[in-house]
Amino acid sequence: MPRTQDVALSVKNLKTYFYTNNRCNKAVNGVSFEIRKGKTLCIVGESGCGKSVTASTIMQLLPALSRIEQGQVTYHSDSGDVHIEKLQRDGKEMRAIRGSEIAMIFQDPMTALNPVYTIGFQIGESLKYHTDLSTKEIREKTIDLLRGMGISLPEMRVDDYPHSYSGGMRQRAMIAMAMSCNPKILIADEPTTALDVTIQSQIFELMDKLKAENETAIMLITHDMGVVAELADDVAVMYMGNIVEAGTVDQVLRHPVHPYTRALLKSIPVLGRGRNQDIQPIAGSTPDPYDRPIGCQFAPRCKHRIEACDVMPQEVTFNGTQRVMCWRYKEFLPDAG
Amino acid sequence: MLTYVIRRILLLIPMLLTISFLVYTALELTPGDAVSALINPELASRLTEAQFYELRESYGLNKSFITRYGIWLGNVMQGNFGHSLAGGVPISTIFLDRLPATLELSLVALFFSTVLGCILGTYSALKRGSITDSSLTVIGMVGVSIPEFFFGLVALLIFALNLGWLPVGGRLLPGYETIWDRIPHIVMPAMVLSLMMTAGVMRYARSSMLDALTRDFITTARSKGLPEWRINLLHGFRVALTPVVVLIGFRLPVLIGGSVIIEQVFQWPGLGNEFIGAVRGSDYPLVMMIALFSVFTVLMASLIIDVLTALIDPRVRLS
Repeated sequence: MPRTQDVALSVKNLKTYFYTNNRCNKAVNGVSFEIRKGKTLCIVGESGCGKSVTASTIMQLLPALSRIEQGQVTYHSDSGDVHIEKLQRDGKEMRAIRGSEIAMIFQDPMTALNPVYTIGFQIGESLKYHTDLSTKEIREKTIDLLRGMGISLPEMRVDDYPHSYSGGMRQRAMIAMAMSCNPKILIADEPTTALDVTIQSQIFELMDKLKAENETAIMLITHDMGVVAELADDVAVMYMGNIVEAGTVDQVLRHPVHPYTRALLKSIPVLGRGRNQDIQPIAGSTPDPYDRPIGCQFAPRCKHRIEACDVMPQEVTFNGTQRVMCWRYKEFLPDAG
Repeated sequence: MLTYVIRRILLLIPMLLTISFLVYTALELTPGDAVSALINPELASRLTEAQFYELRESYGLNKSFITRYGIWLGNVMQGNFGHSLAGGVPISTIFLDRLPATLELSLVALFFSTVLGCILGTYSALKRGSITDSSLTVIGMVGVSIPEFFFGLVALLIFALNLGWLPVGGRLLPGYETIWDRIPHIVMPAMVLSLMMTAGVMRYARSSMLDALTRDFITTARSKGLPEWRINLLHGFRVALTPVVVLIGFRLPVLIGGSVIIEQVFQWPGLGNEFIGAVRGSDYPLVMMIALFSVFTVLMASLIIDVLTALIDPRVRLS
């Protein structure tokens, strides 16, 4: 277990539910994890498993019909712990954290920037609200930030509108915006899904550099296992609102225990293994969130299902930092053969 | 930006030419000509063909259609709009006399409906689902669907006749010419004229605002820790404004058309009132010039709207 002073943010037994038409979608159903300072936590899982909702919950950016039902989100700031779940959604304290202490970058840089304001204006907004810089200083800092993100001619591009930026440039501008106040935590919700592969690696390199330079803790949401292997220090695998397996990147990728993690890893082609490699898609599809299995959420698609799986398994910690939610996990441990 | 405006102004020229030609042709197609309109039928029955021919020749009516259009266009461009058949007053004099009243009424109504429509619509969107929102929606529906002259008559009945708060009509009384004397006169016609447009702008602003508030950049703005008013107004409303400005531009002709009726109801001495008189008296030159003028206003308005849209939305400037 990491010492508390190394942890930037801890989430304990978090439950976020959505209410629509008198039905309840338990989008995040009891997840716990920690984001370590200066480290990257990757959250992986299929679409709809609750990754983005977890991120929105930390930022309190949930839509109106959803709420934090239970659990704690604790931000370990320099001046003491802040219980984010207790703060008012758009209250002053929450706003002071957003953009300044915890910043976020989004999936689609095409729509995440306001089309009617210049890039400089939009980056400057964060600085205006979270720092005491003068208008002139804000402009200089904005230009510096853009330069730091590898935007050429930042003195000119700062006055351009988003529509004259390419997708990759917009995401750089988004990152510049997120990093403008040197946040302790950066949440990146699939930041490269809308970009092409060459730009992807540039964006990730940039994020890695920022992490190293500013000691920023990064929570990266992705469904790209290659990205996980490349960037992650810790990994959490989510399925239907639960973290089914978590641990360091070595533990989870080299010795996956949960059947879902193992199925996920087998379903991905690996570069260099040629065309005859054995790719096994995961059978079936994710269940309807309104009609969930009673026990283990993965049970209906699991090859190793037993009767016990009709009851939700407890989370078990082993090897120090690896956690798994599976009744039969012992049989899948690497030394169990 | 400057090239955009210049290009847009240059586009006006062919449009105006086409429309002036259409208006001239329409006049040409009406039965009879200036001669038969000027001479009373009794006298006309006693004139010979040769005399008619001479009369026409003296007015230049025997020249070809295109030539006459050319002469007329040349005159109009020099500010010579011809004469009204009723009384032979130069049309330009009538315009100078009547235009300020119409502009005053339309601009006050335009300003009022834009401001009020935007405020109410935005408020409605922000308080979506509240009682205020529902009531405004109902009021908006009523406002859009009931014709203006009806409102005009009801307003006259209540505020002028029963309560006696406001004058029944007219623009100003002789001897009373300060702005304070004039305000009571313009309140009712301007309110009634702007009612329908206010309702339209309000409903449009509401849906445009609701749409803007669901966009991703609103979440981005929120994630930056900006206060709610800034998110709603600077990010939401600013983006919602573009379609609203376009709508207001489209509604301008309706406003001008509406003022014809409202001027009649409130005895407002404007061009609309003059227009009705001209139509009744078959005063074709005057009808034509007023029509041409309305067209010109609409085109100018659309130019202004285009420039405004370009100012509001940077993406427009490129195309």
